[in-house]
Amino acid sequence: MRYLLLFIFAFQSHAQISDFDHIDFSKADQMASMCKNEGLDNMPKLVYNLTSNLDTDVEQFRAIYMWVCHNIANDYTLYLKNKRKRNKFKNDSTKLRVWNENFKKVVFKKLLKQERTICTGYAYIIQELAKLANLDCEIVHGYGKTSMTNINELDPPNHSWNAIKLNEKWYLCDPTWASGIPDPETNFFKFEYNNGYFLSNPRLFIVNHFPLDKKWTLLENENHTFEEFLDAPILYGKAYTNLKEHAKPKQMHHLLQKNEKVQFKYELIKAIDTKSVSFLIDNGFNNIKTAPNSVHLENRFLILEHQFDTNGFYDVHLYIGDDLISTYTFKVKS
Amino acid sequence: MKKQTFKKITLLLGIMMFSALFSNSIFAQSKVEATTSKAQQNLIVKGKVTDDKGALPGVNVVLKGSKVGAVTDENGEFTFPQSLSSGDVLVFSYLGYNKQNITIDAQTTYINLLMSDNVIEIMGAPSTDKPYKSKRSH
Repeated sequence: MRYLLLFIFAFQSHAQISDFDHIDFSKADQMASMCKNEGLDNMPKLVYNLTSNLDTDVEQFRAIYMWVCHNIANDYTLYLKNKRKRNKFKNDSTKLRVWNENFKKVVFKKLLKQERTICTGYAYIIQELAKLANLDCEIVHGYGKTSMTNINELDPPNHSWNAIKLNEKWYLCDPTWASGIPDPETNFFKFEYNNGYFLSNPRLFIVNHFPLDKKWTLLENENHTFEEFLDAPILYGKAYTNLKEHAKPKQMHHLLQKNEKVQFKYELIKAIDTKSVSFLIDNGFNNIKTAPNSVHLENRFLILEHQFDTNGFYDVHLYIGDDLISTYTFKVKS
Repeated sequence: MKKQTFKKITLLLGIMMFSALFSNSIFAQSKVEATTSKAQQNLIVKGKVTDDKGALPGVNVVLKGSKVGAVTDENGEFTFPQSLSSGDVLVFSYLGYNKQNITIDAQTTYINLLMSDNVIEIMGAPSTDKPYKSKRSH
Protein backbone atom coordinates (compact mmCIF):
# COMPACT_ATOMS: atom_id res chain seq x y z
CA MET A 1 0.00 0.00 0.00
CA ARG A 2 2.77 2.36 0.96
CA TYR A 3 4.49 1.75 -2.37
CA LEU A 4 1.28 2.29 -4.24
CA LEU A 5 0.88 5.67 -2.55
CA LEU A 6 4.48 6.53 -3.30
CA PHE A 7 3.94 5.58 -6.91
CA ILE A 8 0.82 7.69 -7.23
CA PHE A 9 2.59 10.63 -5.63
CA ALA A 10 5.61 10.31 -7.92
CA PHE A 11 3.36 10.00 -10.91
CA GLN A 12 1.39 13.13 -10.15
CA SER A 13 4.14 15.51 -9.18
CA HIS A 14 5.63 17.48 -12.06
CA ALA A 15 9.34 17.72 -12.65
CA GLN A 16 10.54 20.66 -10.60
CA ILE A 17 13.24 21.83 -8.24
CA SER A 18 11.72 20.13 -5.18
CA ASP A 19 12.85 16.80 -6.73
CA PHE A 20 16.34 17.90 -5.71
CA ASP A 21 15.61 19.05 -2.17
CA HIS A 22 18.28 16.64 -0.94
CA ILE A 23 20.98 18.41 -2.95
CA ASP A 24 22.89 21.36 -1.61
CA PHE A 25 23.71 23.65 -4.52
CA SER A 26 26.21 25.78 -2.63
CA LYS A 27 29.22 23.93 -4.08
CA ALA A 28 27.91 24.34 -7.65
CA ASP A 29 27.16 28.01 -7.00
CA GLN A 30 30.66 28.47 -5.66
CA MET A 31 32.11 26.93 -8.84
CA ALA A 32 30.12 29.43 -10.89
CA SER A 33 31.37 32.40 -8.90
CA MET A 34 34.96 31.12 -9.03
CA CYS A 35 34.79 31.21 -12.84
CA LYS A 36 33.57 34.80 -12.88
CA ASN A 37 36.51 36.15 -14.86
CA GLU A 38 36.43 33.49 -17.55
CA GLY A 39 34.98 34.27 -20.95
CA LEU A 40 33.22 32.40 -23.70
CA ASP A 41 36.29 32.33 -25.93
CA ASN A 42 37.24 28.96 -24.48
CA MET A 43 33.98 27.18 -23.73
CA PRO A 44 35.44 23.69 -23.15
CA LYS A 45 37.82 25.05 -20.52
CA LEU A 46 35.02 27.04 -18.92
CA VAL A 47 32.83 23.93 -18.73
CA TYR A 48 35.68 21.87 -17.36
CA ASN A 49 36.36 24.40 -14.63
CA LEU A 50 32.67 24.69 -13.82
CA THR A 51 31.80 21.02 -13.67
CA SER A 52 34.83 18.78 -13.08
CA ASN A 53 34.54 18.94 -9.28
CA LEU A 54 30.80 18.23 -9.23
CA ASP A 55 29.42 14.71 -9.03
CA THR A 56 25.79 14.89 -10.10
CA ASP A 57 24.27 16.07 -13.38
CA VAL A 58 21.99 18.49 -11.60
CA GLU A 59 24.93 20.17 -9.83
CA GLN A 60 26.90 20.38 -13.07
CA PHE A 61 23.94 21.94 -14.82
CA ARG A 62 23.41 24.28 -11.87
CA ALA A 63 27.00 25.57 -12.13
CA ILE A 64 26.60 26.23 -15.87
CA TYR A 65 23.23 27.91 -15.40
CA MET A 66 24.48 30.10 -12.55
CA TRP A 67 27.52 31.16 -14.55
CA VAL A 68 25.36 32.21 -17.51
CA CYS A 69 22.80 34.02 -15.34
CA HIS A 70 25.51 35.96 -13.51
CA ASN A 71 27.81 36.79 -16.41
CA ILE A 72 25.71 37.35 -19.52
CA ALA A 73 23.93 40.70 -19.70
CA ASN A 74 20.62 41.20 -21.47
CA ASP A 75 20.90 43.67 -24.32
CA TYR A 76 17.72 45.72 -24.53
CA THR A 77 18.74 47.75 -27.60
CA LEU A 78 19.45 44.55 -29.45
CA TYR A 79 16.07 43.21 -28.36
CA LEU A 80 14.18 46.27 -29.66
CA LYS A 81 15.99 46.23 -32.99
CA ASN A 82 15.22 42.55 -33.50
CA LYS A 83 11.59 42.98 -32.48
CA ARG A 84 11.04 45.77 -35.00
CA LYS A 85 12.58 43.77 -37.85
CA ARG A 86 10.82 40.53 -36.98
CA ASN A 87 7.48 42.29 -37.03
CA LYS A 88 8.30 44.07 -40.27
CA PHE A 89 9.25 40.83 -42.03
CA LYS A 90 6.74 38.54 -40.39
CA ASN A 91 4.87 37.90 -43.64
CA ASP A 92 7.98 37.66 -45.79
CA SER A 93 9.80 34.47 -44.91
CA THR A 94 12.76 35.12 -47.24
CA LYS A 95 13.47 38.55 -45.77
CA LEU A 96 12.96 37.20 -42.26
CA ARG A 97 15.47 34.45 -42.94
CA VAL A 98 18.06 36.89 -44.33
CA TRP A 99 17.54 39.20 -41.36
CA ASN A 100 17.86 36.31 -38.96
CA GLU A 101 21.02 35.10 -40.68
CA ASN A 102 22.73 38.49 -40.41
CA PHE A 103 21.40 39.26 -36.97
CA LYS A 104 22.65 35.91 -35.70
CA LYS A 105 26.21 36.93 -36.58
CA VAL A 106 25.84 40.18 -34.66
CA VAL A 107 24.40 38.31 -31.68
CA PHE A 108 27.22 35.78 -31.55
CA LYS A 109 29.86 38.47 -31.93
CA LYS A 110 28.35 40.44 -29.06
CA LEU A 111 28.06 37.31 -26.97
CA LEU A 112 31.70 36.44 -27.52
CA LYS A 113 33.21 39.91 -27.16
CA GLN A 114 30.93 41.74 -24.75
CA GLU A 115 29.03 38.91 -23.08
CA ARG A 116 25.74 40.61 -23.90
CA THR A 117 22.80 38.97 -25.61
CA ILE A 118 19.02 38.49 -25.80
CA CYS A 119 17.12 35.41 -24.80
CA THR A 120 17.91 33.06 -27.66
CA GLY A 121 21.52 33.85 -26.85
CA TYR A 122 21.00 32.79 -23.23
CA ALA A 123 19.18 29.62 -24.19
CA TYR A 124 21.78 28.88 -26.84
CA ILE A 125 24.78 29.35 -24.59
CA ILE A 126 23.17 27.23 -21.86
CA GLN A 127 22.62 24.47 -24.41
CA GLU A 128 26.17 24.68 -25.80
CA LEU A 129 27.81 24.60 -22.38
CA ALA A 130 25.50 21.80 -21.19
CA LYS A 131 26.31 19.76 -24.30
CA LEU A 132 30.03 20.15 -23.57
CA ALA A 133 29.31 18.67 -20.14
CA ASN A 134 27.47 15.77 -21.87
CA LEU A 135 24.08 16.88 -20.59
CA ASP A 136 20.93 16.61 -22.68
CA CYS A 137 19.62 20.15 -23.09
CA GLU A 138 17.16 21.72 -25.55
CA ILE A 139 16.22 25.24 -26.59
CA VAL A 140 12.48 25.80 -26.38
CA HIS A 141 11.04 28.51 -28.62
CA GLY A 142 7.71 30.11 -27.94
CA TYR A 143 5.89 33.01 -26.37
CA GLY A 144 6.75 34.76 -23.15
CA LYS A 145 4.28 37.13 -21.52
CA THR A 146 5.23 40.05 -19.27
CA SER A 147 3.51 43.29 -18.26
CA MET A 148 5.21 44.96 -21.24
CA THR A 149 4.05 42.43 -23.84
CA ASN A 150 1.50 43.77 -26.24
CA ILE A 151 -0.85 40.81 -26.58
CA ASN A 152 -2.15 41.98 -29.96
CA GLU A 153 1.40 41.91 -31.30
CA LEU A 154 2.24 38.42 -30.03
CA ASP A 155 3.01 36.98 -33.40
CA PRO A 156 5.75 35.93 -34.29
CA PRO A 157 7.17 34.10 -31.24
CA ASN A 158 9.14 36.34 -28.91
CA HIS A 159 10.97 34.20 -26.35
CA SER A 160 13.24 31.18 -25.84
CA TRP A 161 14.12 29.13 -22.80
CA ASN A 162 15.58 25.70 -21.98
CA ALA A 163 14.56 22.17 -21.13
CA ILE A 164 17.16 20.00 -19.40
CA LYS A 165 17.09 16.25 -18.87
CA LEU A 166 18.19 15.16 -15.40
CA ASN A 167 17.80 11.61 -14.08
CA GLU A 168 15.72 10.73 -17.16
CA LYS A 169 13.22 13.54 -16.54
CA TRP A 170 12.83 16.84 -18.35
CA TYR A 171 12.84 20.13 -16.42
CA LEU A 172 12.25 23.75 -17.42
CA CYS A 173 14.31 26.85 -16.80
CA ASP A 174 14.42 30.41 -18.11
CA PRO A 175 17.95 31.85 -17.92
CA THR A 176 16.96 35.14 -19.61
CA TRP A 177 14.41 36.08 -17.02
CA ALA A 178 16.51 34.67 -14.19
CA SER A 179 19.51 36.86 -14.91
CA GLY A 180 17.99 40.26 -14.25
CA ILE A 181 15.95 43.12 -15.60
CA PRO A 182 16.87 45.73 -18.20
CA ASP A 183 15.61 49.20 -17.45
CA PRO A 184 13.42 50.15 -20.44
CA GLU A 185 14.30 53.83 -20.05
CA THR A 186 18.07 53.68 -19.71
CA ASN A 187 18.62 50.27 -21.40
CA PHE A 188 20.94 49.61 -18.50
CA PHE A 189 20.89 45.97 -17.53
CA LYS A 190 20.74 45.17 -13.84
CA PHE A 191 21.92 41.72 -12.77
CA GLU A 192 19.40 40.47 -10.25
CA TYR A 193 19.35 36.70 -10.09
CA ASN A 194 15.93 35.09 -9.58
CA ASN A 195 16.18 31.48 -8.44
CA GLY A 196 12.51 30.82 -9.20
CA TYR A 197 13.22 30.19 -12.89
CA PHE A 198 15.54 27.25 -12.14
CA LEU A 199 13.71 23.92 -12.66
CA SER A 200 10.39 25.71 -12.26
CA ASN A 201 7.05 24.03 -11.74
CA PRO A 202 5.59 23.47 -15.25
CA ARG A 203 2.13 24.42 -13.97
CA LEU A 204 3.35 27.88 -13.03
CA PHE A 205 5.60 28.15 -16.10
CA ILE A 206 2.68 27.62 -18.50
CA VAL A 207 0.99 30.81 -17.24
CA ASN A 208 3.59 33.00 -18.96
CA HIS A 209 5.55 30.60 -21.20
CA PHE A 210 3.80 29.04 -24.19
CA PRO A 211 6.03 26.70 -26.23
CA LEU A 212 5.59 26.32 -30.00
CA ASP A 213 5.99 22.58 -29.56
CA LYS A 214 3.40 21.51 -27.01
CA LYS A 215 5.50 18.68 -25.62
CA TRP A 216 7.62 21.30 -23.85
CA THR A 217 4.78 22.28 -21.56
CA LEU A 218 5.84 19.05 -19.78
CA LEU A 219 2.15 18.67 -18.90
CA GLU A 220 1.47 15.56 -20.96
CA ASN A 221 -2.05 14.84 -19.89
CA GLU A 222 -3.32 18.38 -20.04
CA ASN A 223 -4.41 20.42 -23.00
CA HIS A 224 -3.34 24.05 -22.88
CA THR A 225 -4.41 26.39 -25.65
CA PHE A 226 -2.80 29.57 -26.91
CA GLU A 227 -6.06 31.44 -26.14
CA GLU A 228 -5.83 30.36 -22.50
CA PHE A 229 -2.29 31.67 -22.42
CA LEU A 230 -3.33 35.01 -23.94
CA ASP A 231 -6.16 35.33 -21.41
CA ALA A 232 -4.03 34.37 -18.40
CA PRO A 233 -3.13 36.88 -15.67
CA ILE A 234 0.25 38.61 -15.74
CA LEU A 235 2.87 37.04 -13.52
CA TYR A 236 6.02 38.80 -12.34
CA GLY A 237 9.42 37.35 -11.47
CA LYS A 238 8.59 37.26 -7.78
CA ALA A 239 5.66 34.91 -8.47
CA TYR A 240 8.33 32.28 -9.10
CA THR A 241 9.97 32.76 -5.71
CA ASN A 242 6.65 32.67 -3.81
CA LEU A 243 4.32 30.35 -5.72
CA LYS A 244 4.27 26.74 -6.79
CA GLU A 245 1.11 27.24 -8.72
CA HIS A 246 -1.31 29.98 -9.72
CA ALA A 247 -4.63 28.14 -9.43
CA LYS A 248 -7.27 30.91 -9.63
CA PRO A 249 -8.40 33.02 -11.39
CA LYS A 250 -7.37 31.70 -14.79
CA GLN A 251 -8.17 35.00 -16.53
CA MET A 252 -6.59 38.40 -16.49
CA HIS A 253 -9.72 40.44 -17.28
CA HIS A 254 -12.97 40.20 -15.32
CA LEU A 255 -16.43 41.67 -15.47
CA LEU A 256 -18.08 41.83 -12.05
CA GLN A 257 -21.31 43.00 -10.47
CA LYS A 258 -20.96 45.42 -7.59
CA ASN A 259 -20.33 43.41 -4.38
CA GLU A 260 -19.88 40.19 -6.33
CA LYS A 261 -17.30 37.98 -4.65
CA VAL A 262 -14.17 37.02 -6.55
CA GLN A 263 -11.84 34.27 -5.35
CA PHE A 264 -8.07 33.90 -5.75
CA LYS A 265 -6.15 30.71 -5.01
CA TYR A 266 -2.39 30.06 -5.00
CA GLU A 267 -0.14 27.22 -3.91
CA LEU A 268 2.73 28.62 -1.89
CA ILE A 269 6.36 27.49 -1.81
CA LYS A 270 6.79 28.42 1.84
CA ALA A 271 4.52 29.49 4.68
CA ILE A 272 3.77 33.22 4.83
CA ASP A 273 2.16 35.64 7.25
CA THR A 274 -1.38 36.35 6.04
CA LYS A 275 -0.92 39.98 7.05
CA SER A 276 1.76 40.37 4.38
CA VAL A 277 -0.81 39.84 1.59
CA SER A 278 -2.12 43.02 -0.03
CA PHE A 279 -3.68 44.43 -3.17
CA LEU A 280 -2.53 47.59 -4.86
CA ILE A 281 -5.63 48.85 -6.63
CA ASP A 282 -5.34 51.39 -9.43
CA ASN A 283 -8.71 52.97 -10.30
CA GLY A 284 -7.27 55.21 -13.01
CA PHE A 285 -6.81 58.18 -10.70
CA ASN A 286 -4.86 56.85 -7.76
CA ASN A 287 -3.29 53.74 -6.27
CA ILE A 288 -4.69 52.39 -3.03
CA LYS A 289 -2.97 49.69 -1.03
CA THR A 290 -5.52 47.52 0.74
CA ALA A 291 -5.90 44.09 2.30
CA PRO A 292 -8.19 41.64 0.47
CA ASN A 293 -11.58 41.23 2.20
CA SER A 294 -10.58 37.77 3.34
CA VAL A 295 -7.19 36.05 3.48
CA HIS A 296 -6.71 32.52 4.71
CA LEU A 297 -4.31 29.61 4.45
CA GLU A 298 -5.33 26.00 3.84
CA ASN A 299 -2.26 23.79 4.08
CA ARG A 300 0.01 25.28 1.42
CA PHE A 301 -2.79 27.12 -0.34
CA LEU A 302 -3.40 30.84 -0.03
CA ILE A 303 -7.05 31.72 -0.61
CA LEU A 304 -8.24 35.30 -1.00
CA GLU A 305 -11.69 36.80 -1.49
CA HIS A 306 -12.54 40.29 -2.51
CA GLN A 307 -15.52 42.45 -3.43
CA PHE A 308 -15.66 45.90 -5.03
CA ASP A 309 -18.32 48.22 -3.58
CA THR A 310 -17.91 50.98 -6.16
CA ASN A 311 -18.39 50.88 -9.93
CA GLY A 312 -15.25 51.41 -11.94
CA PHE A 313 -12.35 49.87 -13.77
CA TYR A 314 -9.54 48.55 -11.60
CA ASP A 315 -6.05 47.22 -12.17
CA VAL A 316 -5.41 44.95 -9.20
CA HIS A 317 -1.83 44.00 -8.31
CA LEU A 318 -1.23 41.26 -5.75
CA TYR A 319 1.68 41.70 -3.36
CA ILE A 320 3.16 39.32 -0.78
CA GLY A 321 5.26 41.62 1.39
CA ASP A 322 7.11 43.82 -1.11
CA ASP A 323 7.00 41.16 -3.81
CA LEU A 324 4.79 41.96 -6.79
CA ILE A 325 3.17 38.65 -7.76
CA SER A 326 0.45 39.15 -10.38
CA THR A 327 -2.02 41.55 -12.03
CA TYR A 328 -5.74 41.31 -12.92
CA THR A 329 -8.28 43.84 -14.13
CA PHE A 330 -11.88 44.19 -12.94
CA LYS A 331 -14.67 46.11 -14.56
CA VAL A 332 -17.31 46.59 -11.87
CA LYS A 333 -20.91 47.48 -12.80
CA SER A 334 -24.03 47.73 -10.69
CA MET B 1 24.64 -16.87 19.99
CA LYS B 2 27.77 -14.85 20.50
CA LYS B 3 29.86 -17.49 18.82
CA GLN B 4 27.64 -17.40 15.76
CA THR B 5 27.99 -13.64 15.32
CA PHE B 6 31.73 -14.00 15.65
CA LYS B 7 31.69 -16.67 12.96
CA LYS B 8 29.66 -14.44 10.68
CA ILE B 9 32.06 -11.54 11.13
CA THR B 10 35.04 -13.76 10.38
CA LEU B 11 33.35 -15.04 7.26
CA LEU B 12 32.51 -11.55 6.13
CA LEU B 13 36.05 -10.34 6.75
CA GLY B 14 37.35 -13.33 4.87
CA ILE B 15 35.18 -12.55 1.87
CA MET B 16 36.19 -8.91 1.95
CA MET B 17 39.90 -9.73 2.10
CA PHE B 18 39.58 -12.29 -0.64
CA SER B 19 37.68 -9.97 -2.93
CA ALA B 20 40.13 -7.14 -2.23
CA LEU B 21 42.94 -9.39 -3.33
CA PHE B 22 41.05 -10.34 -6.44
CA SER B 23 40.06 -6.82 -7.52
CA ASN B 24 43.56 -5.57 -6.93
CA SER B 25 45.04 -8.10 -9.31
CA ILE B 26 42.59 -7.07 -12.01
CA PHE B 27 43.47 -3.42 -11.54
CA ALA B 28 47.19 -4.16 -11.85
CA GLN B 29 46.59 -6.02 -15.07
CA SER B 30 44.63 -3.30 -16.79
CA LYS B 31 47.16 -0.71 -15.73
CA VAL B 32 49.97 -2.60 -17.42
CA GLU B 33 47.88 -2.85 -20.56
CA ALA B 34 47.21 0.89 -20.61
CA THR B 35 50.87 1.85 -20.34
CA THR B 36 51.97 -0.52 -23.07
CA SER B 37 49.33 0.74 -25.50
CA LYS B 38 50.26 4.31 -24.73
CA ALA B 39 53.89 3.58 -25.34
CA GLN B 40 53.01 2.30 -28.77
CA GLN B 41 51.13 5.39 -29.81
CA ASN B 42 52.51 8.85 -29.65
CA LEU B 43 50.47 10.76 -32.15
CA ILE B 44 51.16 14.39 -32.84
CA VAL B 45 47.95 15.75 -34.30
CA LYS B 46 47.68 18.85 -36.46
CA GLY B 47 44.79 20.16 -38.47
CA LYS B 48 42.82 22.91 -40.12
CA VAL B 49 39.25 24.05 -39.47
CA THR B 50 37.12 25.79 -42.08
CA ASP B 51 33.51 26.76 -42.67
CA ASP B 52 31.79 27.35 -46.01
CA LYS B 53 33.52 30.73 -46.28
CA GLY B 54 37.08 29.64 -45.50
CA ALA B 55 39.47 29.33 -42.56
CA LEU B 56 37.92 29.55 -39.09
CA PRO B 57 40.17 31.12 -36.44
CA GLY B 58 39.41 30.91 -32.72
CA VAL B 59 37.98 27.39 -32.71
CA ASN B 60 38.56 25.49 -29.45
CA VAL B 61 40.07 22.03 -29.84
CA VAL B 62 40.02 20.11 -26.58
CA LEU B 63 40.81 16.55 -25.51
CA LYS B 64 37.50 15.22 -24.19
CA GLY B 65 37.35 14.97 -20.41
CA SER B 66 40.31 17.30 -19.85
CA LYS B 67 41.16 20.95 -20.27
CA VAL B 68 44.16 20.30 -22.50
CA GLY B 69 43.53 22.05 -25.76
CA ALA B 70 44.47 24.34 -28.60
CA VAL B 71 42.87 27.28 -30.40
CA THR B 72 43.01 27.61 -34.19
CA ASP B 73 45.14 30.50 -35.51
CA GLU B 74 44.21 33.08 -38.18
CA ASN B 75 44.65 30.39 -40.88
CA GLY B 76 42.31 28.05 -39.01
CA GLU B 77 45.26 25.79 -38.17
CA PHE B 78 46.26 24.15 -34.91
CA THR B 79 48.84 21.74 -33.47
CA PHE B 80 47.59 19.78 -30.48
CA PRO B 81 49.98 20.47 -27.55
CA GLN B 82 50.01 16.91 -26.25
CA SER B 83 50.62 13.62 -28.00
CA LEU B 84 47.49 11.53 -28.35
CA SER B 85 46.68 7.85 -28.58
CA SER B 86 44.02 6.11 -30.65
CA GLY B 87 40.61 6.23 -29.04
CA ASP B 88 41.13 9.77 -27.72
CA VAL B 89 38.37 12.18 -28.70
CA LEU B 90 38.96 15.77 -29.73
CA VAL B 91 36.04 18.17 -29.28
CA PHE B 92 35.85 21.09 -31.73
CA SER B 93 33.63 23.95 -30.61
CA TYR B 94 32.97 27.52 -31.64
CA LEU B 95 30.10 29.79 -30.70
CA GLY B 96 27.42 29.70 -33.40
CA TYR B 97 28.67 26.44 -34.93
CA ASN B 98 27.72 22.82 -34.33
CA LYS B 99 30.07 21.09 -31.92
CA GLN B 100 31.96 18.13 -33.43
CA ASN B 101 33.73 15.15 -31.90
CA ILE B 102 36.62 13.53 -33.76
CA THR B 103 37.95 10.17 -32.56
CA ILE B 104 41.69 9.70 -33.06
CA ASP B 105 42.89 6.43 -34.60
CA ALA B 106 46.41 5.13 -35.18
CA GLN B 107 46.57 6.80 -38.63
CA THR B 108 45.43 10.27 -37.56
CA THR B 109 48.06 12.95 -38.08
CA TYR B 110 46.18 15.73 -39.85
CA ILE B 111 42.50 16.65 -39.36
CA ASN B 112 40.67 18.64 -42.02
CA LEU B 113 37.40 19.73 -40.50
CA LEU B 114 34.49 21.60 -42.04
CA MET B 115 32.24 23.16 -39.39
CA SER B 116 28.66 24.15 -40.09
CA ASP B 117 26.58 27.03 -38.80
CA ASN B 118 24.06 26.35 -36.11
CA VAL B 119 20.62 27.08 -37.50
CA ILE B 120 18.86 29.06 -34.83
CA GLU B 121 16.14 31.66 -34.70
CA ILE B 122 16.97 34.74 -32.71
CA MET B 123 14.33 36.32 -30.50
CA GLY B 124 14.07 37.87 -27.09
CA ALA B 125 11.62 39.26 -24.60
CA PRO B 126 13.31 40.69 -21.52
CA SER B 127 11.81 40.30 -18.10
CA THR B 128 10.32 43.26 -16.29
CA ASP B 129 8.94 44.07 -12.87
CA LYS B 130 7.09 47.16 -14.06
CA PRO B 131 3.44 46.83 -12.96
CA TYR B 132 0.94 46.42 -15.78
CA LYS B 133 -1.13 49.52 -16.56
CA SER B 134 -4.43 49.39 -18.43
CA LYS B 135 -4.93 51.81 -21.30
CA ARG B 136 -7.83 54.02 -20.29
CA SER B 137 -9.88 56.28 -22.51
CA HIS B 138 -10.31 59.20 -20.06
